[in-house]
Amino acid sequence: MTAPTNQASSTHEAVSQRVPLWRDAVVVKWMTQVTLLTLVLATLWFLASQAGDNLSARDIDIGFDFLERPPDIQLSEGIDTHPATGGRALWVGMVNTLRMAGAGIIFATLLGVVVGLSRLSNNWLIQRLGTIWVETLRNVPLLVQIIFYSSVLSTLPRVGLDTGPINGWLHISNKGLSIPRIFIADGFYQWAVVVLLGAIGARYVHKRRVHLHNETGANTSPILWALGTIVVFAIVGLFIHPAFSFIGPIMGAIAGLLDSLPVILPQVVLSAAAIFFAARWIRGFLADRRSAVGHLALSDDDYFRIIFAATAALIAVAILSMWSGFSSWLINSGTDLFEVIEDKFNADGAARPFDAMRPDIVKPGKFANYGTSGLTITIGFAAVFFGVVFYTSAFIGEIVRGGILAVPKGQIEAASAVGLSRAQSLRHIVLPQAFRIILPPLGNQYLNLTKNTSLAIAVGYSDIVQVGQTVYNQTGKTLPVVAIWMLFYLACSLTISVIVNYYNVRLKLVER
Amino acid sequence: MSEYGADTPTIGDVPRIVTPPVEPHLPPRQWLAKNLFPSKLNTLLTIVASLVILAIVRGLLGFIFNPIRQWNATAVNLRLMMTHAYPADQYVRVWVSVAVFLVLTSLSLVVWRVGFRILLRKLAKQVIAGGVFGLLVSVLAPFSTNATLIWLAVSAGVLAIGLGLLRAPEEATISSLTLVVGASSLAAASLWLIPYGRHSFVPDRTPRILAEPGTVAITTKLPWTIMLVIAVATYAVGRMLRDRIPTKQAQTVLLLTWFLAPLALIYLVLRDPDFDMAHVVSTDIPIFLVFAALGSATLFWLTRPDTGEIGRVIAMVILFLGFGSFLTPMRMVIRILLILLAMFSLAAPTFSGDRQTRRRYATTWTVVTLFLCWLITAINTPSTVDVPGEFFMGGFSLTLLVAFFTLIISFPLGVVLALARTSTMPVFRLLATTFIEFVRGIPLITILIFFSVMVPLFLPDGMDLPELTAVTIGYALFASAYLAENVRGGLQSVTRGQHEAAEAVGMTTSQKTVFIVLPQALRVAIPPLVGQVIATFKETSLLYIIGLYDLLFVAKALVPNQTEFMGSTRENLLFVSVIYWIIAYNLSKASQRLERRVGLGER
Amino acid sequence: MNDMDTDARTDAEPPARSERDLSNAADMIVCEEICKWYGDFQALEGVSATIKEQEVVVVLGPSGSGKSTWIRCINRLEQHQEGRIVVDGVELTNDLRNIEKVRSEVGMVFQQFNLFPHLKVRDNVSLAPIWVRKKPKAEAEEQAQALLELVGIPEQADKFPGQLSGGQQQRVAIARALAMEPKIMLFDEPTSALDPEMIKEVLDVMKNLALSGMTMMVVTHEMGFAKEVADRIIFMEEGQIVEVGTPEHFFTNPTEDRTKLFLSQILA
Repeated sequence: MTAPTNQASSTHEAVSQRVPLWRDAVVVKWMTQVTLLTLVLATLWFLASQAGDNLSARDIDIGFDFLERPPDIQLSEGIDTHPATGGRALWVGMVNTLRMAGAGIIFATLLGVVVGLSRLSNNWLIQRLGTIWVETLRNVPLLVQIIFYSSVLSTLPRVGLDTGPINGWLHISNKGLSIPRIFIADGFYQWAVVVLLGAIGARYVHKRRVHLHNETGANTSPILWALGTIVVFAIVGLFIHPAFSFIGPIMGAIAGLLDSLPVILPQVVLSAAAIFFAARWIRGFLADRRSAVGHLALSDDDYFRIIFAATAALIAVAILSMWSGFSSWLINSGTDLFEVIEDKFNADGAARPFDAMRPDIVKPGKFANYGTSGLTITIGFAAVFFGVVFYTSAFIGEIVRGGILAVPKGQIEAASAVGLSRAQSLRHIVLPQAFRIILPPLGNQYLNLTKNTSLAIAVGYSDIVQVGQTVYNQTGKTLPVVAIWMLFYLACSLTISVIVNYYNVRLKLVER
Repeated sequence: MSEYGADTPTIGDVPRIVTPPVEPHLPPRQWLAKNLFPSKLNTLLTIVASLVILAIVRGLLGFIFNPIRQWNATAVNLRLMMTHAYPADQYVRVWVSVAVFLVLTSLSLVVWRVGFRILLRKLAKQVIAGGVFGLLVSVLAPFSTNATLIWLAVSAGVLAIGLGLLRAPEEATISSLTLVVGASSLAAASLWLIPYGRHSFVPDRTPRILAEPGTVAITTKLPWTIMLVIAVATYAVGRMLRDRIPTKQAQTVLLLTWFLAPLALIYLVLRDPDFDMAHVVSTDIPIFLVFAALGSATLFWLTRPDTGEIGRVIAMVILFLGFGSFLTPMRMVIRILLILLAMFSLAAPTFSGDRQTRRRYATTWTVVTLFLCWLITAINTPSTVDVPGEFFMGGFSLTLLVAFFTLIISFPLGVVLALARTSTMPVFRLLATTFIEFVRGIPLITILIFFSVMVPLFLPDGMDLPELTAVTIGYALFASAYLAENVRGGLQSVTRGQHEAAEAVGMTTSQKTVFIVLPQALRVAIPPLVGQVIATFKETSLLYIIGLYDLLFVAKALVPNQTEFMGSTRENLLFVSVIYWIIAYNLSKASQRLERRVGLGER
Repeated sequence: MNDMDTDARTDAEPPARSERDLSNAADMIVCEEICKWYGDFQALEGVSATIKEQEVVVVLGPSGSGKSTWIRCINRLEQHQEGRIVVDGVELTNDLRNIEKVRSEVGMVFQQFNLFPHLKVRDNVSLAPIWVRKKPKAEAEEQAQALLELVGIPEQADKFPGQLSGGQQQRVAIARALAMEPKIMLFDEPTSALDPEMIKEVLDVMKNLALSGMTMMVVTHEMGFAKEVADRIIFMEEGQIVEVGTPEHFFTNPTEDRTKLFLSQILA
């Protein structure tokens, strides 16, 4: 190599001075970020303090105590139409939202697949029908559709004491559709324990039959056997379920135990957990950055990650230790949970797991209405249901169509080249590959559908938003109610994302 | 943007493919056999589908043409649905706005050379389909004998025209624009010739509803005819001048006008602010002059190529002054201009250059300041338009207004969020991701309710935000989260090599973003962005839930409450659906065409 | 660049590059013990080298040997974690001013061209001079046209990169790098993504550039180019410099076994 010249040594001197702070790339980068963070936090703090001032000036307090008080409202439908507390009312709304979302997701998927396939049909008429369905429904706002369905359905005949078509069995009127109802009764939970045992047994039986099949090669139909086991347990359970009442007192004991825990315990345990996990993460991170020869090269971003993890843990500890209300809330809700379960097992021996009732019509005052004994699908439910199902089916149809079209033609040609029939190639080659493409946007549609059920407020279906609005109109607690809405929907979105991602990852693994 | 924006290929440059796809032409019987009855199962499906279609069509016709339908409710209240309670004596302002919109549309059609040739034979098939459908309607609908005869005659006429067109020479084509002009001329002529009847809602002291047989009122047919004439005349003049004007510049000017025209129409024409000249001269103009002079001097100095780090320091000082100004009482316009000046200063090194470039940057600042000062003054000045209720717009025009403001606020916000989410700076990523995922996790209606009910709580004393503004901000925040995800998709499609090449020629991060990354990313993101525009447009219907007088609210809550039109909800909703459908459908079709054309020019 | 004498070059015999005496020339690039890790993997293990003004250095080595990483460290597309890099008297540190300075003095040509697909060829070349060098637009475009003439494609100025062949695109990329009037040009496998019939047109441009006295550092697999043009050849393997020498020395009697093995595989 060339010997260093004079030039090089002068270069050496020229560069050995320190970099001024305002020219240092790392310093500038972090100053920018700290500035932004400061501005954002300052803005938030400013808004929060304004809100605090305004609230105290107007004498509004934002506590959550309304959750415990009687709300004095009546809901149009749900598991409890006369909720005892504000919390219970919101709970009813949440169940209604989940019901709507669940039913909507199932039916929108089925209908969407039909629509998507029909658009690929080689039957001209069917294909056109699919296209018209998609282009009409996805270009009209969902809210307009929901209100339209609602106003069409409300032109059904008024409800009277002998509303048909089959009085006492099937009622159709402007109050909705009412049919006989099978519902879970007091003995259900004991019975469910028996079925749970059956499921464990079925798993064992399934394993055995699969093993037998592998040994002998005979057709042992393991799934049928497993299902059979569950059915046997379910039938036997109908007669022996009172035997499981003993679970109730056990749960009661757990509840008592939880209740006697000191408030400090969850604080200590959770703080320790936070510190432990942060420390473990940092250790793992450092180990990850250590190269084979033992060298550790940490960039500024790496330091940020470590500091962030440590700060997050410290903040968690600080919150836990300063806010003892949280840990007593944890203990209380744990106690409540087990007390509720104890209550569920308190039925007497004669209680049946299931019961059924015929619809009835009551006339408390001037106007007749459906009673609570039948299964009633109200106009509000139907309007929102048709709205979200039809609207989402148009989008799902397009996703399904796109997914199937995205499977390369070569795949189908290859399938027919190895002698698969059209149906076989669809079943084994096209659909599995299409499904992989379809799944992520499908998950997005499920998220949209769930959020869209909130439009129920326009037709008075008692979902969480509608109930929440009624509650805050009654109590004036707008801020807490809005916070509960947001938390609830975030939880729903997160759950759906987690499920979709889980399948997404699984499908990818299967691919390899 | 710089003139580099003008040098990028716009869609207008891309050669359009006019040849329609060639389909094998089958005789009717074979076509039926191939497409409807290829197998037993398909025959069954065809029969079932036909029955379903017949039932739906019959049901729909039975609904629409049922004599008890109150279509009068829609006809009488057309004006109410379009502009709610805009005073009749100042209605010329609405017409001026419509005219400006039509002129801009015509000029855009000219400049972007929109329009294509349609094969006459293809058109013939559409016309024949229309005629057949008309015959079907005449048979199935519950008409009186008279009406049936008219329908039959008209349908037969259409069918005959279609069959006649089928005999046109193979290659004969017609311009799509000629068709549009022809159709609208026919519609305008029919206003004068056919006795549709007079329908209107007269908002006197005792509101009257006018619905009587006879010719169309002059207040309807005259403006519409003028509008059509203006549109066609503009197009014709534009066509003549087209080859004498440089296309690029014309496109830039038009785009700018499209952006500014709605603001000018809303705040100058429709709202007609009653400027307090004394106040304007004593306060507004001096503020503008000070900021224009000081700002452009600062920026002219900051854009010197050799300013160096001191420029960054000065920009930060201005930024802190801007945010600090919120701590002391001060005019809002000063705060806004300070923060804007800080943004311009921060961007100054990116756009530094020779004297000419620097002068242009300073001029841009002056123009933006002027525009902002005018806009803020106009917003703060009381309107002379005498409207009952809080806001001077309502109905469909409110729908459009909210959609427009949502988009112009959310678009830059979405781009910034997307850039932050893909940034190399972890704090930026963290903040952007938290915001985007939070907003995407909750329904729009909860955000709207929050903004319509809760915003006054978060404002300092003495500050007041109208409900509509607050709700529009809610819309914009919501849309920006979704736009950001679309833009992020585009950003991720820009390869690492593009970033490296830009860095290797010495560009700063902001230069790289402005000149290299964003132009490519946004082009890729066009289809999902148009999708988001459509979604936003449809979501404006949620204004109904929070009780603002949008199209849906007027149709659902106001009209059916008029004593004459009790229970006309379904008619009005159908009308509203049709309006939404026409716009959303055409937007999505236009986006698909755009996608194909942009895809053609790329790489 | 414009004073490059094209006519004199074509009929003159190529001078014996390796015999030039560069010992009194200034140091353009000084690398001292550079190390670079990607997580667990060490890409550069103490690379030291000095490159003189006007010198043409070809870096050879099997794929994954750290050649590209090294030259990408020199204009800080990658950051080295240990050691020093001094380019034309400016050390690469976190100093923003130095990074800007080095970037605008070092031109780089990529394997995948990385032309900006949304800009016309002329704008590809003139964009950086206008916004980074702050040249007036007219002047920058004039210069762009001259450079396109230099690389032999003046007629393509109004096309988009997507309409050009690979060889033409790479020549535009060279013109784009030259437009910043760099003191040093880095080439990262400039011909690897090209069809065989287009390699020559790019190599010819590079040869002319070398003859005009540009300091160049070239990562390539073109042995002919290395033999003909290089002043020195650096052979790398597993993140280390294995052997350094003139082309004669390198191709005729390499000292290291690893070099011999590599040459036998390449030339076989």
